[in-house]
Amino acid sequence: MRKNNELVVQNTSNSVKPREENPFTKRKFTGFLSKIFLATLIVSICFAILYPILTLLPMVFTDLRDLGSPDSIWIPSTFSVNSIEFTFRSVMRGDITIMFRSLLYALTICFIQVFMSAMAGYSLARTDFKGKGLVFFLVIFVFLVPRQSFLITQYLHFKHFDILGIFQMFLGHDMDLINQPITLYLLAIFGFSVNQSLFIFIFRQFFKGLPIEIEEASLIDGAGFYKTYFKIMLPNAMPAILTVAVLAFVWAYGDTYYTNYFHTDGPYFGVIIDKTFKDANNWYINNQARQWFDTATTNDLAFEALKQASIITFLTPLLIIYFFVQRKIVENLDRVGIVG
Amino acid sequence: MKQNNGERNKWKMKYSTSRKVNGFIFVLPWLLGFIIFFAVPIKNTILYSFNKVEVGESGGIALTFSGLQNYIDLFTEEVSTLSQPIQRMFADENSNIFTQLPLIVIFSLFLAILANAKFPGRGIVRVIFFLPIVLGLQLIVEWTQASMGRTLIETSAGGMLGSGMGVDLLFQYTFLPPKTILFLSDVIANISQLITRTGVQTMIFLAGLQSISPSHYEVAKIEGANSYEVFWKVTIPLLANVTVFTVIYTLIDLFLSSSIAVEVYNFAFTKSKIGIGSALSVVYMLNVLVALGIVMLFLKVVHLVEKK
Repeated sequence: MRKNNELVVQNTSNSVKPREENPFTKRKFTGFLSKIFLATLIVSICFAILYPILTLLPMVFTDLRDLGSPDSIWIPSTFSVNSIEFTFRSVMRGDITIMFRSLLYALTICFIQVFMSAMAGYSLARTDFKGKGLVFFLVIFVFLVPRQSFLITQYLHFKHFDILGIFQMFLGHDMDLINQPITLYLLAIFGFSVNQSLFIFIFRQFFKGLPIEIEEASLIDGAGFYKTYFKIMLPNAMPAILTVAVLAFVWAYGDTYYTNYFHTDGPYFGVIIDKTFKDANNWYINNQARQWFDTATTNDLAFEALKQASIITFLTPLLIIYFFVQRKIVENLDRVGIVG
Repeated sequence: MKQNNGERNKWKMKYSTSRKVNGFIFVLPWLLGFIIFFAVPIKNTILYSFNKVEVGESGGIALTFSGLQNYIDLFTEEVSTLSQPIQRMFADENSNIFTQLPLIVIFSLFLAILANAKFPGRGIVRVIFFLPIVLGLQLIVEWTQASMGRTLIETSAGGMLGSGMGVDLLFQYTFLPPKTILFLSDVIANISQLITRTGVQTMIFLAGLQSISPSHYEVAKIEGANSYEVFWKVTIPLLANVTVFTVIYTLIDLFLSSSIAVEVYNFAFTKSKIGIGSALSVVYMLNVLVALGIVMLFLKVVHLVEKK
């Protein structure tokens, strides 16, 4: 749209020469105004997006004693990192690996999800076995049914896990898969982790858009089905892989649904923060903060500040990774091919 | 020659069947998962919803058939966590979702168009525009929305950031009916909440915009279309598929984070009423599918979905 405008401006300034001498023509003025308007718009939208994070920051870096004082609303009157320190000492129990372990968990899940959904997506896009249409319909259907609606039975299913009575037969009892990390990996391997049907759909659309000649060429060169897929198709699917990987990683890291229900005691940072900062723990947390940072009194605001500090800590690695990957995604976006 | 041809055909046949088999193998894990993690739980949910569910003697689950009793109880006796009747909760959530849906889709299209325009500093703006992918995680939305820091800042700013001033201006200088103005001020006040839902949608729209070949725009320009016409006659029709996808995604996303979902958990684990929780799940599932059907019908009417 803007391109079009600029072109029009150029054309008129070329053809009507005398007007160019007057720098304050009407057209230029409106162009200037619309630029200002656009800039204001963009800046305000950026502000609105960043607003939730911006509102967290001031309290986090305020000294616990100064909380709630009218002197420090946006800018802390005494700068302090006590709240962040509290996150490391109390929420993570002095064990910084919790953060790395949940990052590693997200990375593993993300890897499994990309690998499995790419395979399913490729199969749905490029081969035609009997019942392919039905399978594709089921993929869409799974995405449409909200996962909470079968939470109860899924939970019970995992509590007494058995496939066709096999475990019952060999072990004499069914398996309790609740509160075991393997449950989460099983879900990802078999395609039912966070929004995995969406990923299958993205891969299917992408592979459908790839030119068939690539595949044919490799077949003529004598590569089999698997070699073609792993050596030719998968490397060519980089844009889709990147997009899916980022979404999968972010969603796995921020997931409290599966982690909380199926592996409650696991080292997942999000779940731990959620549990630590329950209202019932208010007194306990305030007490701890009072002892550690020897402040005479703390109030509800301290509880909030500490909570916000752990949110910031939780977000930091995610934001750093996002910042590095974002550029690549946007560059590749037109090739992801959700469009087709 | 003939023999050769036959051999080729045979090889081709063999190849195509092996390809079918391999393709099936690729999708097999998902199919297994579908049965184990989806079909069986769904079947059980429906089964439990028609039964009285109790803990059996051996620690298992004992079912006694009770017909529609769970559903009747759900809508006549049970209340939500807000102490409202269940049907009230469904009505509220649905009307909420259907007002938010178009707003989110239009807003993310708007963001994508802005992110696609050329201006200095576009790189940074894009970084920020896609930030809702991260900040839109439900976890983070829940944490930040109720944060005290926000309340502090908003009260100290004297409502400048709120809607108070804008509403006054609208009331005095436009002739819009009060209901419209209230709706608008509501939207403006909740803009940051709206934005948290736009991350993925903006990305999809931008992908769509970037895949439109520039030649379409060139043709339109040569034909003398102004930018308004270009937008409605070129951009929107070419974005039809992407829009349908975005609408569906948004709808599902909104339902997933609605309070109905929380209610299912409450019935099952807090109140230990598995039968009624299952009945609620079934109603919830049907609600989503019906809502989706209505939306698809609407899209068909406005010709965004192609008629087959």
